[in-house]
Amino acid sequence: MTDFGGISARALARSFGSVHAVSNISFDALPGRVTGLIGPNGSGKTTLMLMLASLLRPDAGQVLISGIDPTLDPVGVRARMGWMPDALGSWSSLTVRSALETTGRLYRMDRTLAAARASELLDLVGLRELAERPTRVLSRGQKQRLSLGRALVHDPEVLLLDEPASGLDPVARLDLQRLVRSLAADGKTVLVSSHVLAELDDMADDAVYVEAGATVSVERVAQARSSTRLWRIRAAEREPLRAALLRFGDGPVTDDRGDLLLPVASEAAAADLLRALVAADLSISAFAPAVGDLEHTFLDLNRTADRP
Amino acid sequence: MTDFLTGAGVVFSLEMRQRVRGIAWYVMLGVFFVLILLVTAILTIVSSVATAGATDASSAGGGAFSVIIYFVLLLGTLVAPALSGNTINGDRDSGTLATMQVTLVSNWQIVLGKFLAAWVTALAFLVAALPFLIFTIVEGVRPLTIVVSVLVLALELGVVSAIGVGLSGLITRPLFSIVVTYLVVAALSVGTLIGFGLGGLLLQSPTTTRVYSSTSMDEDDVDEDGTAIECTFEGVQRGTTPRFDRVWWLLAANPYVLLADAVPADPTADYPSDLFGSITYGERSAQLAPELNSTRNDCDLSSSSDSSTTYHHTLATTTPGWLVGLIVQLVVAAAAILGAGLRLRTPAGRLPAGSRIA
Repeated sequence: MTDFGGISARALARSFGSVHAVSNISFDALPGRVTGLIGPNGSGKTTLMLMLASLLRPDAGQVLISGIDPTLDPVGVRARMGWMPDALGSWSSLTVRSALETTGRLYRMDRTLAAARASELLDLVGLRELAERPTRVLSRGQKQRLSLGRALVHDPEVLLLDEPASGLDPVARLDLQRLVRSLAADGKTVLVSSHVLAELDDMADDAVYVEAGATVSVERVAQARSSTRLWRIRAAEREPLRAALLRFGDGPVTDDRGDLLLPVASEAAAADLLRALVAADLSISAFAPAVGDLEHTFLDLNRTADRP
Repeated sequence: MTDFLTGAGVVFSLEMRQRVRGIAWYVMLGVFFVLILLVTAILTIVSSVATAGATDASSAGGGAFSVIIYFVLLLGTLVAPALSGNTINGDRDSGTLATMQVTLVSNWQIVLGKFLAAWVTALAFLVAALPFLIFTIVEGVRPLTIVVSVLVLALELGVVSAIGVGLSGLITRPLFSIVVTYLVVAALSVGTLIGFGLGGLLLQSPTTTRVYSSTSMDEDDVDEDGTAIECTFEGVQRGTTPRFDRVWWLLAANPYVLLADAVPADPTADYPSDLFGSITYGERSAQLAPELNSTRNDCDLSSSSDSSTTYHHTLATTTPGWLVGLIVQLVVAAAAILGAGLRLRTPAGRLPAGSRIA
């Protein structure tokens, strides 16, 4: 196995009784990049996160976090890894500030250092105004930010974020995106699982697809990614556009909220189509895939799940 | 070692801040205080009426007021399971356990910190009861009795807290672990008495008694000190006797007996002078093996034992029950804590059915 830092998982398996939550997961997540973890509910994402977070022992396979195996040296991994769980627990009687300070103390910081770090994090995750409020009064989105702050307390090299964006308003989502991007720019390894694929599209450099406890092979991902997808096209003159699309395209044209949708086989075909439309003197104002890359791949994989 | 204690200290202080800021704790403390106040007031009124005009008022007070100490023990062991029985699984339910496990504190630091916090919270109830315990000195209870009682009460609260914290780690559902902790307290407080009684009766030993009696029915046929002149062997009576000496340790593990036994006997009294003394005497006597082969001599009427020497003699020749009881209780408490610590090991291997990590 390579010793590049980041996260490396090989042939991971873990079952609970007769339920095989994870059967065969292998992937690498590289430092300086944001890796999206994508899969339907119950596909084993959270079980995988728990194994990466040194809380659950794999039945088979190996994990390396920054080159360290959490089964052999959990303390070494924990010192370098921050985990934001999907469950939103917080110490209800503590203030936001003291919750962050206490987390720092649990990471063996002394009082002064923990207080200084908590103060930094309040600004970083945008909870400064709520610093002296007890955590039980926080809204779901605010708890989410506190949880993220807790994961960042010891400035970890590797970040595991389990559904970090759920419950966040659009502004907070953008903040989160910016924060995650800047962490990756600092050379950290970030693994993000999310159901909101459009958002991962904006955030993730790489993607790992998980299905029924196993990673989907690179070939199948490539195939799904390049399969025919819908493009959204908008022009000032709708009916001439429809006529042009019927002429240049090779599929049914459908109406969608004032735009027209057309299946296109590949990126190259899309480029040809656009050239033809512009040449036909149509004033095109929007020309883009109707769904994001990750979502398209995810949906296509789901459709083809039964095929080998 | 210092690092270990620092980590456990962080868990402890977190746990304390979580507990003490809850309003429920103060309400419980208030109710506890009022209850003991009521019992003390009623006892004071009753005993002042009963001993009005009596010269030996102080010893009567001493007897009655040991009841207050028992009342504190009763309430303390009723409160402690509620304070400790959901420490670990409650955290797991509210999603704060895994976030702690993923930091640099170890499973043992978590368990130790949580146990100490549960114990200290329970000790607050003892502190609330302290004015009343000290007040009993005015009513004639020996200061030494109070000092020893307070120490034993503190230990008992520690044992119950340890069992509660341990079970909250071993059992997945908080409600269930609190109930089981109460059942363990009930087993120690009542179960040991039942076990002692039934155990003694179950383990019967055969006895033989050789009986001698005076052959003469004539009352003149005795010498000066009342011993019959003619004595004959009447035969052997066979029977069985319960062997409480084999199950007495069950009695010693009872918190109430343990407390009574730990309090030193009044050296100036020939008989047990208060409730604690009587209970201790009973428990110590149960340690003595019954005489299996005895002789009954109806001719010798002078052979009656001198009970004034027997009380202190029994105490001196038997095992200190509090020590045995304490060892039994500490083993149970340590096993519970150990079990919880092992269950919190991460990365977790086998998980009990229906439980989650986070």
